[in-house]
Amino acid sequence: MSETMLEINNLTKYFPIYGGVLLRQVAAIHAVDGVSFDIKRGETLGLVGESGCGKTTLSRVALRLIEPTAGAVRYLGRDLFKLSNQEMRKLRLEMAMIFQDPYACLNPRMTLADIVGEPLTIHGLARGEERKRRIVELVKKVGLAPFHMYRYPHEFSGGQKQRIGIARALASNPKFLVADEPVSSLDVSVRAQILNLLEDLQEEFGFTYLYISHDLSTVKHMCDRVAVMYVGKLVELAPTKEIFANPQHPYTEALISAIPIPGRRASEKRIILKGTVPTPIDPPPGCRFNPRCAFSQPVCAKEEPEFIETRKGHFVACHLRK
Amino acid sequence: MDNTLLDIRNLKTYFFTEEGSVKAVDEVSLKINKGEVLGLVGESGCGKSTLSFSILRLIRDPGRIVGGEVWFDGVDLLGLSESEMRKVRGGDIAMIFQNPMSSLNPVFTVGSQIAEAIELHQDAKKSEIVKKIVEILSKVGIPNPTERMDDYPHEYSGGMAQRAVIAMALSCNPKLLIADEPTTNLDVTIQAQILELMKALRKDFGASILLIGHDLGVISELSDRIAVMYAGKLVESSDLEGIFQKPMHPYTQALLESIPRLDVKTERLRIIPGTVPRLIKPPPGCRFHPRCEHAMKICSEQEPQLTEVDKGHTVACYLYTANNKSNRSR
Repeated sequence: MSETMLEINNLTKYFPIYGGVLLRQVAAIHAVDGVSFDIKRGETLGLVGESGCGKTTLSRVALRLIEPTAGAVRYLGRDLFKLSNQEMRKLRLEMAMIFQDPYACLNPRMTLADIVGEPLTIHGLARGEERKRRIVELVKKVGLAPFHMYRYPHEFSGGQKQRIGIARALASNPKFLVADEPVSSLDVSVRAQILNLLEDLQEEFGFTYLYISHDLSTVKHMCDRVAVMYVGKLVELAPTKEIFANPQHPYTEALISAIPIPGRRASEKRIILKGTVPTPIDPPPGCRFNPRCAFSQPVCAKEEPEFIETRKGHFVACHLRK
Repeated sequence: MDNTLLDIRNLKTYFFTEEGSVKAVDEVSLKINKGEVLGLVGESGCGKSTLSFSILRLIRDPGRIVGGEVWFDGVDLLGLSESEMRKVRGGDIAMIFQNPMSSLNPVFTVGSQIAEAIELHQDAKKSEIVKKIVEILSKVGIPNPTERMDDYPHEYSGGMAQRAVIAMALSCNPKLLIADEPTTNLDVTIQAQILELMKALRKDFGASILLIGHDLGVISELSDRIAVMYAGKLVESSDLEGIFQKPMHPYTQALLESIPRLDVKTERLRIIPGTVPRLIKPPPGCRFHPRCEHAMKICSEQEPQLTEVDKGHTVACYLYTANNKSNRSR
């Protein structure tokens, strides 16, 4: 396919836990543990997993908003963690983030014009009339009207707020966008508006998206490829069509079968997983999914499965698929 | 007729704010039969939760039930005294909320909270209560119930807490269970567990369920019949097949086409233009008409009434009222 936008190599992030009288480090949260994959230019890569699996941490480390414990991230060939702060700051122009909660990510004391204009000022992209013109352009681009410009966030609905968040993300002319659950706090009819907007913008500007979500239905709709995460590890990565038609990892299979389909009464085929997601402080040895897996073998609890390509473009980490 | 458990007639619940009265539930009529699961769907702010709170008379100031009747098992709940009502709540009608952690008191053990529910509604000895708690906790799938009943809510995971809340709701053998977005806060695999549990319990307990939600997938899993609400009004109700294979109201149709589906490939999602109207000043006539692509002249003038168009399929829309077909030009 086309060129690689982001190359993530063995990325690891542990958050230390301090305790005891001397506040020594007593344990660590293995939020992201040796994850490798790449994102091609112009594609939408979906990152799915349940809450606490590390998908948000992964995205933050990938943009170097948090420093990693180990591993490398190459953005168009440049190793992000070797850049100086100034170089990183320049590169940040090309990366943007759309957040889950449009209520929390907008400053209630700033008007729409201030919010959308802030990146322009911070990065010194436009001033005066030019800045104003650019704000109007951005506001229109996301489907809001120029007369909205001097309103405050509380005057907008949830969907409109998410549009403001998108306008702000577009302000620095980014190439790579991370959308972290962009529609999960929105109502169903508004969801469609935002998803369509994201698609339109991608078509117009050729954006590359990392689309993070726990909702497989929207992921299937939006993404070219899907990566599935479980307790800090990538368990499967494949083209969207392939992963839904032919999931290889038992966790992916269970995840897909767990989605209730509108208009369909419960199917008998559903895979119900036992227990809950293990804590990332002390993940189970071997394959992290083995305590909940119906096909678990003795080897699964001892050795960690490798993340290997079993078919062209289809990666899976499972002892059963060697 | 005999089979009806809950019969809501022309219920009106308004909130009286400084800006004006918010007609959160406006002349809604709804029936639930014995043993039936009714799914109530709608977007946030459409009044579905207000409707469920109205059934239990849990509406707080500045809200008030201003009209209508709520017949439950032959009694009009709106006519009961507060102390009589208290016996109904948690007794014959139990409720499960969206966030299980906020419906459990953090400073009491899970067991003692279930015990409280049982003591309030049943005459039972202490040893019987403990036996009952263990029994019900194991029924909802909590491992080692004898030990786990002495745990505090924070020691439970989200899915477990929801199981405990369900146990509490079922401890008094309710005739009607109101479940308001019971799985919204849970992860999909845990959601699947809870749905499975509710399905099993439905067989065991035979209670009617009013299942409220916005996720059409979850609603489909359990419901026999589905009612769709929009801006304080009931716009359509039918059995599962009727709603999904033959949706009639333009809002229902648009809603179904606007969700990405796992089972169908959609290139482009349908958009419902505009936003949900504010209920302080809802649009005149049909409340959906400003966003409706089939809107006719009459739609902005008169309010459509819920009419049975097909067997068991009612809809409030002028497109289906024959004598108004002449008005279809616009």
